[in-house]
Amino acid sequence: MSPAPGFEQWLAPAPASAGGRLDWLQTQRAAARLSVAAQGVPGTKQEAWRYTSLSRLLEQGFVPAVEPVTLRPEALEPRLIPELDAYRVVLVNGRFVPGLSALEGLPPGVRVGSLAELLATDPDALKDRLNAVAGPDQSLFTALNTAGLDDGLVAIMGPGVCLPRPIELIHLSVGAAAPLLAQPRHLVVLETGAQAHLIERYVGLTDGLYCTNSVLEVMLGADAVLEHQRVQLESPKAFHLAALYVRLGAASNYRCINIAVGAAWARTDLRVRFTGEDAVCDLQGLYLVGERQLLDIHLDVDHQVPRCRSREYFKGILYGKGRAVFDGRVHVARDAQQTDAAMTNRNLVLCEGAEIDTKPQLEIEADDVKCSHGTTVGELDPEQLFYLRSRGIGAPLARRMLCLGFAAEVLDALGPEALRMHVAEEVGHRLEQAT
Amino acid sequence: MLSVKGLKAKVGEKEILKGLDLEIGRGEVHAIMGPNGSGKSTLAHVLSGRDGYTVTGGSATFDGQDLLALTPEERAHLGLFLAFQYPVELPGVNNTYFLKAALNAIRTARGQPELDAVAFMRLMKERLKVLHLDDSLLKRPVNFGFSGGEKKRNEIFQMALLEPKLAILDETDSGLDIDALRIVADGVNALRNPERSVILVTHYQRLLDYIQPDYVHVLAQGQIIRSGGKSLALELEEKGYGWLGIEEAA
Repeated sequence: MSPAPGFEQWLAPAPASAGGRLDWLQTQRAAARLSVAAQGVPGTKQEAWRYTSLSRLLEQGFVPAVEPVTLRPEALEPRLIPELDAYRVVLVNGRFVPGLSALEGLPPGVRVGSLAELLATDPDALKDRLNAVAGPDQSLFTALNTAGLDDGLVAIMGPGVCLPRPIELIHLSVGAAAPLLAQPRHLVVLETGAQAHLIERYVGLTDGLYCTNSVLEVMLGADAVLEHQRVQLESPKAFHLAALYVRLGAASNYRCINIAVGAAWARTDLRVRFTGEDAVCDLQGLYLVGERQLLDIHLDVDHQVPRCRSREYFKGILYGKGRAVFDGRVHVARDAQQTDAAMTNRNLVLCEGAEIDTKPQLEIEADDVKCSHGTTVGELDPEQLFYLRSRGIGAPLARRMLCLGFAAEVLDALGPEALRMHVAEEVGHRLEQAT
Repeated sequence: MLSVKGLKAKVGEKEILKGLDLEIGRGEVHAIMGPNGSGKSTLAHVLSGRDGYTVTGGSATFDGQDLLALTPEERAHLGLFLAFQYPVELPGVNNTYFLKAALNAIRTARGQPELDAVAFMRLMKERLKVLHLDDSLLKRPVNFGFSGGEKKRNEIFQMALLEPKLAILDETDSGLDIDALRIVADGVNALRNPERSVILVTHYQRLLDYIQPDYVHVLAQGQIIRSGGKSLALELEEKGYGWLGIEEAA
């Protein structure tokens, strides 16, 4: 079988991929290549790609980033959040750069660092974990990522470990003559009772054209707690794909805030599966989609076991000729009695050219559950605008204040404070163009 | 300071103001009374520049400027302030941030330097004290989840901070119990000065027990049909609007 037309370049293997001598990994890569070939290029007739055509992505001719990039620490500075006290892992074009990272003082029982390094030094720690949450039947871009699997963040917390500071992952894209593709692969494992905070930030060093196809697998053991914040602030020309696979053990707690502001073309797939009872999952999101931007968000929350609770709360602001898709699915299996799930998607559309397709769905097979979903699409309230203007505030600032007010619910949930401030400022900057 | 001549305004196809005349001098307090549907709130809204009204005739000048040609924010920059009958809730917009944005927008428009955070906080604390307001109000989103009384007090607080030349209080007394009314009235009285004019739009005489007007006007069917001193309000209280041949809309 030949690879899908358009993705041949993506499948070109890196000359010295990590863990090249590991049979189990080579088997996974090979299976992924076959899967890519078998899937072909999905058209808009396929439900998962109904609203988003892949042709714009394929036209760009992305090639995998192979050359290591040397970057002086000063170059990273404009992208740092100075007051953010965290263990820092920096990836440049998908590859770990030790000189830019800061991992001193990790407590015992914790491994945080490069996936490639761990594949070289202790592959057994990864053997049963890589691809365990994503599973064997992978969607196209996850399969592409697996086929090219090389480096990324790995974070493994032993039982009961409580990480005192957040882990900050900065994924930095640096342009080259040809538009580059980075496929970082991340793995986060919290064993029983472990607690951690992960901040993922995706940024470009310049305003260049590039593509990030990231995959994150999260395994939470019983009673584990993960705070996860993902901030996508890619360059305005970038293409960004993010697939998150989360598996929740009994009484574990996963809280995720997803901020999507950058990129010309972005797709996020969030898949959460409850495998132990009494677990809690709280997903929040904020997206800003403006001129020539496309954002496609898919949620798939699967309640397989009883007494779990999930919240899906996503807010979006659309302007210019921006276009967004929110496709949220919550599935409650027959045995998942006493599930408590609520999905909400609220959108603020600032002008006529902007568009949102929103489709929240509940699929409930159990009979003793509490589930709800709701969607709103609205404009700025003229009463609120007039109130602000009557106090002397000019119309553009008044609109911006109301947009930030709309976003505040999600922004205020961000922490630590340095991150919240950083993101609120970035959102404020983007809104200056919108209002 | 404010001169309204023959003002006519429509909402949709319905004419609400039918040739209204009003002259307000510097430092004067005018009460505009009238039954429901007489056009009181329309007058307040047209003067402050709210959308949804079409001015079909007449004029309104403020310190010599054509008020009706200005945007709502430009009117605020000139020194006009409307205390809303129903203050609008702004979820997610912090009250302090809002007040600072408003004050600095007005200062900038007047060519004054913006106040920094320290100077602003000092000013705010000082004005809070005058109005006996709790500063917890400042940390909350604008009017969001405020009680009726808190909302009205927040309006007067904004007025204290923005120091308008002309404040229009649109039924500020409505929905207030007697204690809340007294607090609001004390606030307004504390802000009275020879440079500041006030228009009190009200249905009831009750407010005028606490804020003494210099002039009282009766508005009915889109026109001022009677003007007088404080005694006119008392007379209205005693005899009802029917006394002037006005039928109250149901």
